[in-house]
Amino acid sequence: MDPSPKKILLVEDEDFIRELYVRQLTKNGFLIKSAVDGQSGLEMLKQESFDLLLLDIMLPGMNGLQLLREFKTQYPNSKMITILLTNLGQEAVIKEGFELGAQAYLIKASYTPDQVVNEVKNALSGGQPAPTNPIQ
Amino acid sequence: MLPLVVGFFFISSPVIIIAAGIITLVLAVTASFWILKPLNILITGTEILNKGNFNHRFDIRSGDELEEVGNSFNLMADKLTQTFQSLEKDKDLISVEKNELGVVLSSVIDGIIALDFNRNIILLNKAAQDLTGFTQEEVFGKPIDQIIHLFSDQEEVFSKYYCQTNFNQPLKLVGKNGSQVKINLFSSSVSAGIQTRLGCILILHDLSREEELEQMKFDFVSMASHELKTPLTSIIGYISVFLGDYKNKIPKEDFDLLNRSLISAQQLLRLVQNLLSVNKIEKEQLAVSLEPLDYYLVLSKSVEDLRSQANLKNIVLTLFPQKEPVPKVLADPLRLGEVVTNLVANAINYTPAGGKVDIFTQVSPDKITTTVSDTGVGIPKEAIPHLFNKFFRVSNQLQKANKGTGLGLYIAKSIIEKLHGKIWVESEEGGGSKFSFTIPVFNQTKNVLDSDKYALEAVQSGRLNY
Repeated sequence: MDPSPKKILLVEDEDFIRELYVRQLTKNGFLIKSAVDGQSGLEMLKQESFDLLLLDIMLPGMNGLQLLREFKTQYPNSKMITILLTNLGQEAVIKEGFELGAQAYLIKASYTPDQVVNEVKNALSGGQPAPTNPIQ
Repeated sequence: MLPLVVGFFFISSPVIIIAAGIITLVLAVTASFWILKPLNILITGTEILNKGNFNHRFDIRSGDELEEVGNSFNLMADKLTQTFQSLEKDKDLISVEKNELGVVLSSVIDGIIALDFNRNIILLNKAAQDLTGFTQEEVFGKPIDQIIHLFSDQEEVFSKYYCQTNFNQPLKLVGKNGSQVKINLFSSSVSAGIQTRLGCILILHDLSREEELEQMKFDFVSMASHELKTPLTSIIGYISVFLGDYKNKIPKEDFDLLNRSLISAQQLLRLVQNLLSVNKIEKEQLAVSLEPLDYYLVLSKSVEDLRSQANLKNIVLTLFPQKEPVPKVLADPLRLGEVVTNLVANAINYTPAGGKVDIFTQVSPDKITTTVSDTGVGIPKEAIPHLFNKFFRVSNQLQKANKGTGLGLYIAKSIIEKLHGKIWVESEEGGGSKFSFTIPVFNQTKNVLDSDKYALEAVQSGRLNY
């Protein structure tokens, strides 16, 4: 086990989704904090540093991309990994997210919470792809 | 006796002169009464007729040729009156018809433009004036191509082309001061056999209302799909977490109950996603964002997501290991996942319990071919050409019911074509189906990069470092 647990910030406005992800990530040994909108998410990013940001794009008020842009302007040298949480059908915003430095994106509806946890682990361990063993 | 006679002669000569005068006077009066008066009537009468009063008649009762002349004139006047009246009637009729035609043309909601043989404008109805912004007076007699400009995509379409044959196509109309409107142009050339100066008729149907409705439909489906997905994501998330935690702690029967709920929710989610995708395809807004992918990861995730559904039907779902290293592909993982999901879900749906669904890939220098093969009911030969059409569903006696929306294969084909691949099927009724599609490998997609600015920039910036 990693001696110091990784710190994750989850910004997600849907209560059920947010609480579910928090539960699963906590269970898997991460230190997780969450925010329900872009503005409070950005405030939390200013107060402490996180290893990874799980960021929903569609948020009330300041949206995910605006948050990311603001954060990159203020902390251009941050090493924090960003994974975007999206819904299918947001190709344009995904491109924009990548341009703002996001490393990956997950389609909320297509990933079970455990798959999300796996993607988070992968991203934190340097993006090692999952083994491609024959499956039956 | 002679002197008497002579004397009488001399005596009588003034009398004779007077008598002759009287006779002459009588004759003159007679003549004026019998000849000059009728002539006068004729002269005055013809003058009246000349002035256009065809109701005038000649009253000559001389009992001679003059009376006949007068009667002839009366006859002629009768005929003239009749002809004139019928002409007046025709004129009224024509003007009524003209008015009616004018009202019809101006009441038609579609724009109508009539051109002569030289394709100059000779008529522009009210709707056409509204659509183009020009008045009839402004453009009368002017060449159509100088007045309005029609575009199919970026290319201008000229009257020489659309007046040649029957033409029926949506176009962009650029009218007065550059105003733009989407229309459907129907034009037809007027056959030369008809005795008119008409050369071509244009009917312009305003598509902006349709577009508005289309947009409303598009927005509604987008919004509804999104709203449906949010709770579905929660349902699927929570059940899958519960099943993960309690798989070995609850009785199998209880596990199955909840597992079926999960599978149904996943099916519903795929339906919603298909609706969303087809909505975008219809609006030509289905975008693919290309990135270099480890294709096998995309493939195995999509297949694994359907495993519990296959297990439930006791279908053996096998993803065969790749025989050789699969090169990176430049594709859109979401869309590619949709293709695999649709093909594998179809295979599971149309394969009876206890059957097999195999998925394997084949790598060649320029492309990866993926095949989804099943032991299902197969597809009748006559259905194969329509299989990738929207809403098409095979009606098959072997099938108890028509499952699905008929959208999956249509979406798969649209996506694969966007990814510069091909998709096809081999099948026999009762003998299973084999759906295959190709995607170009990365080195083959370099020319594709030219058409995708984002991917090109990404490669140039070193972010896509392959």
